[in-house]
Amino acid sequence: MNAHESIRAKLALAAAGALQENDLREVERHARECESCLRELELWGEYTRELRQLPQPVFPSNLLARTQARVLHDHESALHRRRNGLMLCSLAAYSWVVAFSAWIVARTLTGGTLEVFGTNLVDVGPWILTSWVLTWITAGVAAVTLGRRNPARRVL
Amino acid sequence: MILAASMNPDLLSALDDAIIRLKRGELHALEEVMAPYQQRLYRFLLRLTQEQAAAEDLFQQTWIRVMEKIGRYDARHPFTPWLFSVARNLAIDYLRQRRTGSLDVVDDSGTAPVDRLAGGELDPLERLLEFERGVVLASAIAKLPVIHREVLTLRFEEDMKLEQIAEVAGIPLSTVKSRLLRAMESLRGRLQRQ
Repeated sequence: MNAHESIRAKLALAAAGALQENDLREVERHARECESCLRELELWGEYTRELRQLPQPVFPSNLLARTQARVLHDHESALHRRRNGLMLCSLAAYSWVVAFSAWIVARTLTGGTLEVFGTNLVDVGPWILTSWVLTWITAGVAAVTLGRRNPARRVL
Repeated sequence: MILAASMNPDLLSALDDAIIRLKRGELHALEEVMAPYQQRLYRFLLRLTQEQAAAEDLFQQTWIRVMEKIGRYDARHPFTPWLFSVARNLAIDYLRQRRTGSLDVVDDSGTAPVDRLAGGELDPLERLLEFERGVVLASAIAKLPVIHREVLTLRFEEDMKLEQIAEVAGIPLSTVKSRLLRAMESLRGRLQRQ
């Protein structure tokens, strides 16, 4: 590729303002001496001018308001989800603490033996099973109650 | 902020302030941040997707994503390329879902105005009116691959520097240059064939 061809390949980028300063100077110097490159550079210049003046789309009049409403709704939903998650974690931790404390108290009060249907309820296994069942029953009742009080909103 | 520097300095500082407040979680600052970008962002998404409904939906999704990610935005860097890269990623995901083909293939879906102009159904006066240069140029751009439309709109409509385009598109500077060159040559070729 000779110097002329090399410069010619840079003309479009020169017109687009995408050349480094030294490359641009080189192109300009060549264009002053080469009529065909000058014409080509001017043609690319016209294209880039027109590209900067394309017909503009009309921004939909209510899009900003719709966007704000959607962002707000999404933000509230995210906060709600986070609160629910935190509450669930807290309740889980709380239920384990209560189960453990109650186990200690029950063992102290019963002296380590509380026979029901031939099973010692204050042993670790039966106590965990009983606590687990009671926790899930309570959580189920709470979920149904909360669900009735706070029905999911539907947004168009 | 290189791009924003061309804006009114008062507007710029107000915008910076609003961005910082938004970062702090002040939701009412969103309107102040959205206002200067509404037309630019919508235009960018419309140029990429070529569909008004998709551009509107992506516009909304962009701001939802901005709210989710604003905490991770580094305020020492310009906001504009960051915002446009969020929008761009959503648009590219949308286009990938919509099409099974590569993003650098020519988009032949739909009927571009230039096709309607080329068809002989209009009378000469209507043709003359519709053959306005800008319309023809916009129609020719609409037929280019997405990656070419992207660099053209970012360079000439958003007036972004090549470094900023590279940041938005997540590509090296040399790729931006070659894409820009190919986009311009391809556009010129299309216009000359008409």
